[in-house]
Amino acid sequence: MITVSPQNILDSQNKLDLANMSPEQKALDIHNLNLFYGEKQALQNITMAIPKGQVTAFIGPSGCGKSTLLRCINRMNDLVDSCHIEGEINLHGQNIYDKHVDVAALRRKVGMVFQRPNPFPKSIYENVIYGLRIMGENNRRVLDEAVENSLKAAALWNEVKDRLHDSALGLSGGQQQRLVIARAIAIEPEVLLLDEPTSALDPISTLTIEELINDLKQQFTVVIVTHNMQQAARVSDQTAFMYMGDLIEYSDTNTLFTTPVKKKTEDYITGRYG
Amino acid sequence: MNNWFKSGSPWIWLSAGGVSISLISVVGLLYLIASHGLSYFWPSTLYQFDMIDQQGKPHTVIGEIYDREKIPVKQLAHMDLALGDQEYLERYLVKTGNRELVSLDFRWILVPEIKKTSTPKDLVVIERRTNGNFYGFIESLHLDGEQVSLDKMDELLARVTVFQSEIERLQKSDIGAINYQIERLRLQERKYRLQEKLTPEKEQEIKAKVAALRDDYLVLEKELMALRAKVARDHIKVRAMDGQVVTINFEHILKVEANNQYSFLEKLATFFSKIGSFIVDDPREANTEGGVFPAIFGTVLMVLLMTVIVSPLGVVAAIYLHEYAGNNALTKLLRIAVINLAGVPSIVYGVFGLGFFVYMVGGSLDQLFYPETLPSPTFGTPGVLWSALTLAILTLPVVIVSTEEGLARIPSAMRHGSLALGATKAETLWRIILPIASPAIMTGIILAIARAAGEVAPLMLVGVVKMAPNLPLDGNFPFLHLDRKFMHLGFHIYDVGFQSPNVEAARPLVYATALLLVTIIVALNMTAVSIRNRLREKYRMLEH
Amino acid sequence: MDNLNIGRHISGQFNEDLERVINHVMQMGGLVEKQLSDALTSVHESDEELAKIVHQSDYKINNLEVSIDDECTRIIAKRQPAAGDLRLIMAIVKTIADLERIGDEAEKIAEVTLQSLSNEHRGLLMNLDNLGRKVLEVLQKTLDAFTRMDVDAAIKTHGSDDTIDREYEALMRQLMTYMMEEPRSIPQIMTVIWSARALERIGDRCQNICEYIIYFVKGKVVRHTSIEDVKKL
Repeated sequence: MITVSPQNILDSQNKLDLANMSPEQKALDIHNLNLFYGEKQALQNITMAIPKGQVTAFIGPSGCGKSTLLRCINRMNDLVDSCHIEGEINLHGQNIYDKHVDVAALRRKVGMVFQRPNPFPKSIYENVIYGLRIMGENNRRVLDEAVENSLKAAALWNEVKDRLHDSALGLSGGQQQRLVIARAIAIEPEVLLLDEPTSALDPISTLTIEELINDLKQQFTVVIVTHNMQQAARVSDQTAFMYMGDLIEYSDTNTLFTTPVKKKTEDYITGRYG
Repeated sequence: MNNWFKSGSPWIWLSAGGVSISLISVVGLLYLIASHGLSYFWPSTLYQFDMIDQQGKPHTVIGEIYDREKIPVKQLAHMDLALGDQEYLERYLVKTGNRELVSLDFRWILVPEIKKTSTPKDLVVIERRTNGNFYGFIESLHLDGEQVSLDKMDELLARVTVFQSEIERLQKSDIGAINYQIERLRLQERKYRLQEKLTPEKEQEIKAKVAALRDDYLVLEKELMALRAKVARDHIKVRAMDGQVVTINFEHILKVEANNQYSFLEKLATFFSKIGSFIVDDPREANTEGGVFPAIFGTVLMVLLMTVIVSPLGVVAAIYLHEYAGNNALTKLLRIAVINLAGVPSIVYGVFGLGFFVYMVGGSLDQLFYPETLPSPTFGTPGVLWSALTLAILTLPVVIVSTEEGLARIPSAMRHGSLALGATKAETLWRIILPIASPAIMTGIILAIARAAGEVAPLMLVGVVKMAPNLPLDGNFPFLHLDRKFMHLGFHIYDVGFQSPNVEAARPLVYATALLLVTIIVALNMTAVSIRNRLREKYRMLEH
Repeated sequence: MDNLNIGRHISGQFNEDLERVINHVMQMGGLVEKQLSDALTSVHESDEELAKIVHQSDYKINNLEVSIDDECTRIIAKRQPAAGDLRLIMAIVKTIADLERIGDEAEKIAEVTLQSLSNEHRGLLMNLDNLGRKVLEVLQKTLDAFTRMDVDAAIKTHGSDDTIDREYEALMRQLMTYMMEEPRSIPQIMTVIWSARALERIGDRCQNICEYIIYFVKGKVVRHTSIEDVKKL
């Protein structure tokens, strides 16, 4: 009788111990985060560490707080008047909710892409360099280079290189979304937040974006919110399941989608009544 | 029947009816104005009526038929006419002109008194600089005192026209400039005196300059006199309807037209040349004749000034209200106040403009910067700047409301996209929001222009005059004279239509001016609309 | 059925699909069970007719296996099952493979009947029958556990394979003794050995199915694990 328990020896990747990562492995450290919209609490005691150079997905039913949590990371929630936040989110050991943090500078470090493609009504070129222009970069050579690099990184270069000065609004939905990603990575952020980036796109464009996300994690830490569980399963390394403002389960994607621990997670990802 | 109601057709009919009524009113309005206004320029037939009056005395009436009407005989009973037992009587309103001979340009003639109507080919109408039209037959043409053939008429007229424009140029720009400079020097001297800085050297210098200008003036005056003499060289003798022969100097003649000889094409050419001179000429004879150029210029300049003032003001106010002001009761109150401002009668703005801008602001400006001209005011009197400002205040709510609507329509994704790239709110506003809101801003400006160009009442208080000696824009530094009074088409209509000595004569002019005003407003609007449409096209894809 | 939880999907279609495939698995289990029991009976009673029927009925099991396979493929394609659903489908796919093999083994056992065995070897068959009944019982328990997705029953059944193994070893020793005593009868005895071997294999496969049940319910892989570890679950 064999007494050694069998192991999956094909998974070459070393599984991260999400609960005990070293500071170098963490891109973001969220600690006891509570968020209120007026009286209503939208996030409850969220504590999680997002690993560097990986794709972390937030899944959960509508209104579970996953987008809210994502927006906390680059302080987009500041735009909501009634929003009130407790707890910390640490980026390089620095709490981004500290009083003296420059929000604009933070947002340059933590880029964001939204649900609907939202290119500005300018040329493709101007769209990509928007962030750089804001930062005061005017050197034509630097800008040209940034445009080429970002568009290449966003897998859009070949499609638009001959019409960089045409309006960005003439692109298809999928191209627009990749343009928006190019625009976000042109300012070389550390973290890229994607808020349901493919929910307005057709399946083929969706696949292109997913492929892109996989490439992006070489350079950036990616955090993605998605309604599409299969998408989370396909693109992410870690998955967090949220429900009613609580973080229910957070583990590596392979485990979460085959053998989730919590019943709520199981019910959600198998499509059962909660 | 019930089914018909359910089908919804009654509502379609009702709404279609609404549209047709609006359409008919607009077309009707345009038709009325255009037909009356344009007929003013059409060279009409000149008639000679041989008549016998009640006393059996024959006489002749020459002129254009202006109007015809049927009146009940009863109305004329007091005149004690032997007209038989007809119930109605036709009569013509005839423009006879010849103001130096008869006091009235127009007279009614009763059709039954006309014995013979003819349209003699050699009957002419002479358009003059003073005293209105003259109708009659040309007897002879005198060149420098000697009689010459009538064929030379066109040649001599052309010669005079050249001299006249020369004279005008001398008077308006050269001599005007010298007078302006002399006045400036006088004011400068006065200023030095007031500031007690007038040294003898300066006084000397100014005196020398004035003397130099005076010398220039004398030279120009001599030139002017010479030209005048040249113009006055020739004259014509014309026989009026009562047989009197009148001598008319070429100095006074603008045009000689023999309408009865003209073919249709010639008439058409005359028609357009008359329209042209209506647009580019200055008014004459207390505005009842000549062109309306100063009024067009004043209207357009004032509207443009108003636009330049109101657009940034309205946009900035709307941005504050929508982007920065908190969403609280005070903001709501402000918004309601702004909307209500649009409902305040325009004359109230006029009173406000007069009290605040003209007397308070203008008066203070005068005391601060133009003490040398006092007591005669510079800015402390109605002027084009105050008119533009008053109208800017008047149209401000329109611009604010439509800009705010435009701002509200911008998808929040645009803002968020920009903010997420590390732009501040101000950068987002400047680089993203304002360009996208520009069509809405243009809509506001269009509405503002439409409202301002048609406004007359407040302007009468803050800057419009019946006759402005100078345009607010000329060749003398600083070129744009914001303190000057100006003429305005709307006021021109009112003035010509109701304040002129000869209302009857001015009626066609009222229509023509109204048509012109409508055309200008439409043109201004169309320009703005086309700019807006271009902008809209640019941002069209945003409206998912 | 309660453990299955399949009735709670938001998609009623998905529920129906899963229920249908499970029913088919049970139907297949019933068939396999009948085949085995028939094969054993035919051996016990030297009923050649019955043996032939067993021999001829195997195709039904094969057909069912193919159909269920198809159904599972379709469910994966259309529903992209995750977590429990995914494990259920995986368990089913593997279970039917094992069931099909059990069917094959039953066929092999029935073939013994068709071999002309002399009376003196009938006694050997008695011992075979004993082992057969035990294996049949395990199969029944396994299918029962599968039907209810009862993890405790599965663990228990998983453990009972040991008994079968011991029984099998005892039988083998007995058969070996026979062969040594009477080398002439080796061919007949070999036939019996093959049958015993088939029964032992069926036991193993039942154990596999139990492991799938445990995998489905607990999400843990218990294959190749010591019985003690399994029991710890």
